[in-house]
Amino acid sequence: MKQENSFRPLLLSALLISLAFWSILSGPAQAQELRIATSYKLMTLDPHYANLNENTSLLSHIYERLVYQDERLDLKAGLAISWRATSDTQWEFKLRENVRFHDGSPFTADDVVYTIERIRDFLKPPSGGFRSYVSEIKAVSAADPLTVVVDTNGNVPNLPLSFSSIFVMHRPGQGFQTTEELNAGSPPIGTGPYKFESWSSGEMLKLTRNDDYWGRRPAWSAVTFRIIENPAARVAALTTGDVDIADAIPARDVASLKQRGAKIESVSAARVNFLQFDVGRETLPGVTSKSGEQMPNPFTNPLVRRALAMATDRGILVDKILAGYGTAAAQVFPGGLPGTSANLKPEVPNYDEAKTLLAKAGFPNGFNVVLAGPTGRYPGDGESLQAIAQSWARIGVAVQPSVFPFSVFNTKRASGDYGVWYGGTSGEAVDIILHALLASPDPERGTGALNFGHYRNEAFDAMLAKAESIQEGPERNKALADATDFVMADQPIIPLYHFHHIVGYGPRVGSYVMHPRGWTTAMQTLPATE
Amino acid sequence: MALISAALGRLSQAFLLLLAMSLIGFIGIHSVGNPVFNIVNIETATPEDIRRATIALGLDQPIWRQYFLFIGNVVQGNFGTSYIYHLPALKLVMSKLPATLELACIAMLIAAPAGIGVGLLAGRRKGTLLDRSILRSSVFALSVPSFWLSMMLILTGAILTGWFPSGGRGATASFLGREWSVLTWDGLWHMVLPVLALAIPNIALIARLSRSGTIEVESLDFTRFCRAKGLSSRRILLRHTLPNISVPIVTIIGLQFGGMLAFAVVVESIFSWPGVGKLLIDSIQLLDRPVVMATLTFISVAFVALNAFVDLFHAVLDPRVRLSS
Repeated sequence: MKQENSFRPLLLSALLISLAFWSILSGPAQAQELRIATSYKLMTLDPHYANLNENTSLLSHIYERLVYQDERLDLKAGLAISWRATSDTQWEFKLRENVRFHDGSPFTADDVVYTIERIRDFLKPPSGGFRSYVSEIKAVSAADPLTVVVDTNGNVPNLPLSFSSIFVMHRPGQGFQTTEELNAGSPPIGTGPYKFESWSSGEMLKLTRNDDYWGRRPAWSAVTFRIIENPAARVAALTTGDVDIADAIPARDVASLKQRGAKIESVSAARVNFLQFDVGRETLPGVTSKSGEQMPNPFTNPLVRRALAMATDRGILVDKILAGYGTAAAQVFPGGLPGTSANLKPEVPNYDEAKTLLAKAGFPNGFNVVLAGPTGRYPGDGESLQAIAQSWARIGVAVQPSVFPFSVFNTKRASGDYGVWYGGTSGEAVDIILHALLASPDPERGTGALNFGHYRNEAFDAMLAKAESIQEGPERNKALADATDFVMADQPIIPLYHFHHIVGYGPRVGSYVMHPRGWTTAMQTLPATE
Repeated sequence: MALISAALGRLSQAFLLLLAMSLIGFIGIHSVGNPVFNIVNIETATPEDIRRATIALGLDQPIWRQYFLFIGNVVQGNFGTSYIYHLPALKLVMSKLPATLELACIAMLIAAPAGIGVGLLAGRRKGTLLDRSILRSSVFALSVPSFWLSMMLILTGAILTGWFPSGGRGATASFLGREWSVLTWDGLWHMVLPVLALAIPNIALIARLSRSGTIEVESLDFTRFCRAKGLSSRRILLRHTLPNISVPIVTIIGLQFGGMLAFAVVVESIFSWPGVGKLLIDSIQLLDRPVVMATLTFISVAFVALNAFVDLFHAVLDPRVRLSS
């Protein structure tokens, strides 16, 4: 299965770019028009339909947020120029003056109220992922045209962070705009640096510059996104000069692209891929003793988890499988981003000690385990399992890798078919990931949504809850780093790597700034000075 | 009367086929996995998000009920709304149709005459160097996988020479409310490589068929009589041989055309040509059931219709078919 999936693009791209190609310069493109080949298919023109990079990347040209995250993931003023908590349950956002929507109407507090009401009261599933940002909001009102007051149910110190994921829409004459209306071509109206021109689902998005933009006017007068999901086809389009930028370049194609004059930018993604243990059940499917008999869940013993972490060679994953375009991980975000711990460093494997630990835990001869994972979802996913299987074999743990397409993998994981598996997660900030991945599952508080391993650690829960009650800033970041230190010592997951977002660009582009969230935008791109 | 009953039989066959197809497709896509995981962002979604989405899509119902609901909707002409794109599924398929249609039509318009011509030529000169080289190159063209052929076309036509774009549809012009590439130079330019990728294997296939047909017919008595009567070999070829070999050729053209409409997946993917085949494969990957079902239904209808056309054509071409029915 895996073989077939990866063979074709590999062969294709290898052939396409390994053989001579002439200049990247071909045919004079229309001046000032930026052409981007993107892997992100824009599903919908509704900015509140699905909280996926697919939509966020492209729609951020048209719509803007009150607050945005810069390349360091720090919060910066967007449509709001300032925000403060007026009490434990109230926030006040001051809005930017003289901002106009693409139809010429002024941007006011009422549009923010509309946006929040639309997400909270109007949108129906399957549009998902946004409601949690507004679920703690009790009331939202416009104190004056440039002031929004938000009353919350409790203390919500990271409300500005939540607002960094919400695109502000314009209040229409009456009612709420439906997803169908937006998709059927009633043009999406935002305040962003580009205006909507045309769209063809899964194919093309065309934008023109908004000359009345309040901020710095973008360099390109027009932008065309071509949605090319096949990586080899994206690489070919960049190679022949059909496009100026191609995103999500496979690491294996980087060297040959560079050799032929294309420039490459990359950044550690603000996300983590990891192995997760099921520690909640007495026995696990796919986990047997060396003689093939059912055995008690070994992962409930922290020594076993520690031993396996020690026997995991992250260097091979990063150097060989990701061709250097990855960062070995010891926590949920790459080091240096807000909320990460400076103490945690990826360790080099120590097989002897791992073996000792395993013996101490009562498994001197190891055991058999099925290691499950998706394939074709994350860079290096399927191959990683093979590499890990080899590493673990050295301490006597016999691994049988089992990979499936992502949706199949998820269905099986949800129905409890796995004892240990490869996963990936991303989020706006460290606390969001800790909250979802490692906090004890509690549907009422909404914690542990991704804690499929049922890991429970009350001391960590308390530390995290305390950190989350602190307002954004160094103090909160310190508390989060401490909580991360504390929980990682118990090894509920084995962080593997932060893969890199890789973008290639041609001669018409002078510079490109990568965002760790993986967004591809024209605003990140400056033209080459000729 | 016989015609009506034949038509009715044909229709009921088609109906049964569609029903069987829908059942197989439905169960197949259902058993692959849960589409909810492709719709909500599993990396950030809460279980509540997932539960609500599951209910909204009707995926909490037992499969037989989902199926009957689906059939009921289809009868009213409603294939549901795409899970991923949030557009009516049938509309989505129809919006991708022009791209596929023009690609397939042009490929076939090139492949059919070229293939027949080459085949006639080779058949007439059986055993010559020309015949042998046509035969060999047709084996080659038929046996290379289409992804490799497409890749080589990109390599030679786009990367090495820079003559043609490596993919995409280029500029389009609107006609009858749809966008067409054939109406602009840029669009036509973009079509060259994918059309070749589709046409080349078909040229080979048709050439082989018409070659063997020609050889067979040319050895029959009536050809000899024609020759004895003093007809020019050109006239014999075009007036007598060609109609006699046309039945299998028309059949294969019909089938191949249907195949191109439905399954030009590889070519469409490599040239990022936004057609029906690419939509189908994308939708299967994303488990976008309404779109998969709408596409499959469209494909089945297209095949049934094409087959009917082919039969009709046989009757026109071959008097024996008319007599027997």
